[in-house]
Amino acid sequence: MIPQEFDYSAPQSLEEALSLVASGDRKILAGGMSLIPMMKLRLATPAEVVDLGRIAGLNNIAESGGVMQIGAMATHHAVETSPVVRSRCPLLSDTAGHIGDAQVRNMGTLGGSIAHADPAADYPAALVALEAQIRLVSAHSDRTVEASEYFLDAFTTALEPGEIVLEVRVPVEEASEGYCYQKLAHPASGFAVVGVAVRVKRAGGKIVMARIGITGMGPHAFRARAAEQLLEQGASTEQAAAAVGEGEDANSDLYASADFRRHLAQVHTRRALAVALSRAS
Amino acid sequence: MKISGSYTLPVAQDRAFALLQDPVMLARAMPGCESLELVGENEYAMRMKMVLASLSGLFDGKVRIADSNPPGSFRLIVEGKGKIGFMKGDGLLTVTQNNTGSHVQYEGDVQVGGTIAAVGQRLLDTTSRMMIRRFFEKLSSEAAAVSQSVA
Repeated sequence: MIPQEFDYSAPQSLEEALSLVASGDRKILAGGMSLIPMMKLRLATPAEVVDLGRIAGLNNIAESGGVMQIGAMATHHAVETSPVVRSRCPLLSDTAGHIGDAQVRNMGTLGGSIAHADPAADYPAALVALEAQIRLVSAHSDRTVEASEYFLDAFTTALEPGEIVLEVRVPVEEASEGYCYQKLAHPASGFAVVGVAVRVKRAGGKIVMARIGITGMGPHAFRARAAEQLLEQGASTEQAAAAVGEGEDANSDLYASADFRRHLAQVHTRRALAVALSRAS
Repeated sequence: MKISGSYTLPVAQDRAFALLQDPVMLARAMPGCESLELVGENEYAMRMKMVLASLSGLFDGKVRIADSNPPGSFRLIVEGKGKIGFMKGDGLLTVTQNNTGSHVQYEGDVQVGGTIAAVGQRLLDTTSRMMIRRFFEKLSSEAAAVSQSVA
């Protein structure tokens, strides 16, 4: 459980960090809740680790013009407890509170989690449901990618070599919206066997907007668009939930088969919708 | 672990069968394949670098083709070993002609051991299916590129 020898650098500025990660066998340390265990098992053996923890301002959380900007180095705990996130993006803070355990939430970061892109991570479900945007920067580029186009496959994202996740931008939820994140946590790891993030908006007794993000079921998080449309067309939550995961590839492992995962996605969609609708005004 | 699935390649059956046994094409299509050399009859030595998230590992292995029954089916026997674990697989590939190309059906048994299996159990299935999918996607784009340059 001792990692292979590696160099460590802790740049003080973003520019310095970007020039470091532009080349070489370097991995970014953004909390280390996935990278460090992998290094201890020698599954990951980078020549150098670049710690983003000393760069001031990378963990800022602020809202301006209806968009919540959350710095990549904001910890899960910060996202969960920040008063501005709680009041303006409650789905995201709800989701952050479900991640791992207290130790992981205190160390792990939003940027680290989405750069790693574990197929069972919690954030991606909420980010696709919130139609968040992810800002990626490198030494010579600065671009923004939609969350649903960012998560490409298991552990595979739109991040290019040399790029760093700088911040996540989330359009604030309207106060009248209902939200909920529900998951079945793996008993050992706390990861989502399946996790479902839901947002709904009601007007005149009807659902006028529904967003459903699913994680853990397939190789990456996705929006259950068929179910969203059914809800917006007046279908019952049962009918909509039954459409979740149809035609999608589902993961299977010792703990949960593909069919069980599909079933979980539907059950948790129903539960999350029930809570979200009760919260919507 | 059982693995099965299918993929449609946009070429005729005999061409698909040949592609699946063509070392140059296989080396290009296999994710992370660094070299593939003929070492005996129907037997190849392979070196593969797997990079996934922060995990990376070098694997040395052997690929053997058996029970070749052109243009319909063959067995693929794969063995690989690296610092982070080992894998052994034995699968049957069946190629059938359909109206959009060739339907490749694969079915096999894979054993994975070592550190990667001990700690990565949760991810083995997702990862192996992702790699198979990438392999076929790459193979079909390579096949399309070749048929274009010939035409």
